[in-house]
Amino acid sequence: MKLIITISVLLSSTAVFHQCATQSKVTEYEIPGHVTKENRELFIQKCEKGKVLYKIHCGGCHGIFTKGKDGIPNFTKTQIDSYHAAALIGIDPRNHAVAKKMSSDQIDQIITFLRLRKIDK
Amino acid sequence: MKIFLVILILSAAVFCLSFNLLEKKEYQSLYATSLTEFKQEQNQLRITIEQSNLSDEKDREKIKQQIRNNRIKLKALDFWLRYLEPIAYKKINGPLPVEWETETFEKYEPPYRRQGGGLTLAELSLEEKTVNKDSVLSLIDTSVLALQTFEADSIASQLETHHHFFLANRLYLLNLATIYTTGFECPDTNDIIPELRNMLSSVKNIYSDFNTSFSSFPLSKEYLDVYYKLIKFVNSQPADFTLFDHFSFIKDFLNPLFRLNQQFINKYDVRTISQMDISLENDVYSIFDKKLYNSQNTKGVFSLIEDEKLLAEIKKMGKLLFYDPILSGNNKRSCASCHKPTEYFTDTTMATPFQFDQQQHLSRNAPSLINSVFNHLVMQDGKHIALQGQAKDVIQNPKEMNSTEKELLKKVMSCKEYKDAFRKFARYTPEEKNVSLTHIVSAITFYYADFSYYYSPFDNAMNNAFHLSDAERKGFNLFMSKAQCGTCHFVPQFNGVKPPYTGSEFEIIGVPEDSSYKRLNPDKGRYEINSVKEMMNAFRTGTVRNVMHTKPYMHNGVFQTLDQVIDLYDAGGGVGKKLMVDNQTLSADSLHLSKEEKNNLVAFIHSLNENIIFEVPPAALPVSSDKNLNKRKVGGEY
Repeated sequence: MKLIITISVLLSSTAVFHQCATQSKVTEYEIPGHVTKENRELFIQKCEKGKVLYKIHCGGCHGIFTKGKDGIPNFTKTQIDSYHAAALIGIDPRNHAVAKKMSSDQIDQIITFLRLRKIDK
Repeated sequence: MKIFLVILILSAAVFCLSFNLLEKKEYQSLYATSLTEFKQEQNQLRITIEQSNLSDEKDREKIKQQIRNNRIKLKALDFWLRYLEPIAYKKINGPLPVEWETETFEKYEPPYRRQGGGLTLAELSLEEKTVNKDSVLSLIDTSVLALQTFEADSIASQLETHHHFFLANRLYLLNLATIYTTGFECPDTNDIIPELRNMLSSVKNIYSDFNTSFSSFPLSKEYLDVYYKLIKFVNSQPADFTLFDHFSFIKDFLNPLFRLNQQFINKYDVRTISQMDISLENDVYSIFDKKLYNSQNTKGVFSLIEDEKLLAEIKKMGKLLFYDPILSGNNKRSCASCHKPTEYFTDTTMATPFQFDQQQHLSRNAPSLINSVFNHLVMQDGKHIALQGQAKDVIQNPKEMNSTEKELLKKVMSCKEYKDAFRKFARYTPEEKNVSLTHIVSAITFYYADFSYYYSPFDNAMNNAFHLSDAERKGFNLFMSKAQCGTCHFVPQFNGVKPPYTGSEFEIIGVPEDSSYKRLNPDKGRYEINSVKEMMNAFRTGTVRNVMHTKPYMHNGVFQTLDQVIDLYDAGGGVGKKLMVDNQTLSADSLHLSKEEKNNLVAFIHSLNENIIFEVPPAALPVSSDKNLNKRKVGGEY
């Protein structure tokens, strides 16, 4: 009996876990309600691209997944409205050597990711 | 005894520190005083306008004199204002009543509408037959309000360190080379050189106070010596801007000063917090270095790749694709069909290219791709922010190459050479793991961008000891003065990008439908993208470089010769040619250019032909597994 309970608990928990994993792509971002289903897909694709770039090229200093480095902003929503972001990226090339190299598409992907990602409160 | 010594050292330190603070204030107080003086002048002007009768010629003259005084005081501040807060500056001395900003920020947000105000517009409105006192006053009020911005702590506090100074100085030097001698914001051309003289000597005071206040980061003696010589030179030149030697002014003085200032920026580890420096490079030592500013990222999705060998492979694929009609719906058109590499990457044989159906023609000329990397907005209406976007657009446009991403990728990947290469490249673009149209267009732009980095005899004359002929130099001086070319085609790219080189400008000049000037060309231009009346029939200003090789001219390719183009401008644009053009951004008055002047102008334009080394087309295109595709021709069929 105990064995059956253990197995069923394990099974159901993997199922729940699995469901969470598949849903995470959708729930990871806060996309405004008025955006059409089609465009939601595009937004999510863009965010995913931005996330990959961010992890490789930005996250080392601007920690949002990890600790980052002291004194370098960890982007919060309020810091990242797009105008502000454009300004930040324009700031001294020696501080933002990576951003300076990126194409406008890549920067756009990263900013979209930062703006739309959900932050745990 | 020891205590005494410590106290003595401490007090000495405090003394030094306070002295230092006191000295620093000297530079800042010059800023504050100059602001106050200008403010007083503004108030005086306001009172004069209020008390005057605008229909009285005498009163109007009095106001104009007052505006002149205002401008002199403004020029003493220009050095700071333009750099610290350019948007507020436009309200103090903007050239246009309404401007649609197309700065780099537009890469992230739509255009902004900005209402101009201040002295230039007030002066221009006095020239009109019916002047409304309230509207003139409101222009001045706008300017009074805008000036308050510069007293804000957030702006004035930048003067506490040396950083802003060298960056503001860079902008100042670039503006001297591009707009301060051309009449860009000075409606009365008689005032251009006198105002310039005033400005140069005001900045001399700024320099001297800066050196006192920031003695650890001084302008060197070498710099100041060149600057004093510059003042001497300008004072010895004729006050008539058409006789002024613009060429020597830039070559012998501004370019050396620019070089020294860039050295200071590096030596003093100057850091920016301003969007004004977004495009400019720090390790470039001539205004005529093609790396002066950045506007396009030519590598696209491959931007973060640095392996030279891999980049060379990408470029090789880019070249093949450029010539490959596989990118079009019918496998008969390639990029090279309209941007012929043998014809300076344009098509000199047609006013506007064929449509996809090979029957009708498109409405716009295919511009040269050479130097397109120096535009912030791409296509003649500025529809795209990136070259890659332009390429995608043309490939998928039913009237142009008429392909789709899916179809195109299927065909491209059916060629083993492309497939192996792009699968490899995609491994280096983690955000786009599968080969996409983005990879294809990025390889293409990376290939053709190389042709934008060649120099012309004019650049060589500015950078080195190369001698220009008399006619060429005279032509340049005309370009910068009487012919009014330089007010839109800015040094050094001679395109619509002016310091700090962060946006592309659009102009309405009234281009006709055909060379008989029967009617205006109906193309709405920028209006298609930004539907506001100020943008109706507006087009992005193109470069003058290589134009000897890139006929036909204008957005619709209406003119076959440069003489026809000069004739349009000489007549005062479309309006001067009696066409109905709303909001023409060009004066409708004739330029009164003589035959000889026109010849000199053409001679100068000749000196902008770049010594480009072109390549031969690929001998063959990659073989496809689809036999039908292997019939395609290098460069396409039409």
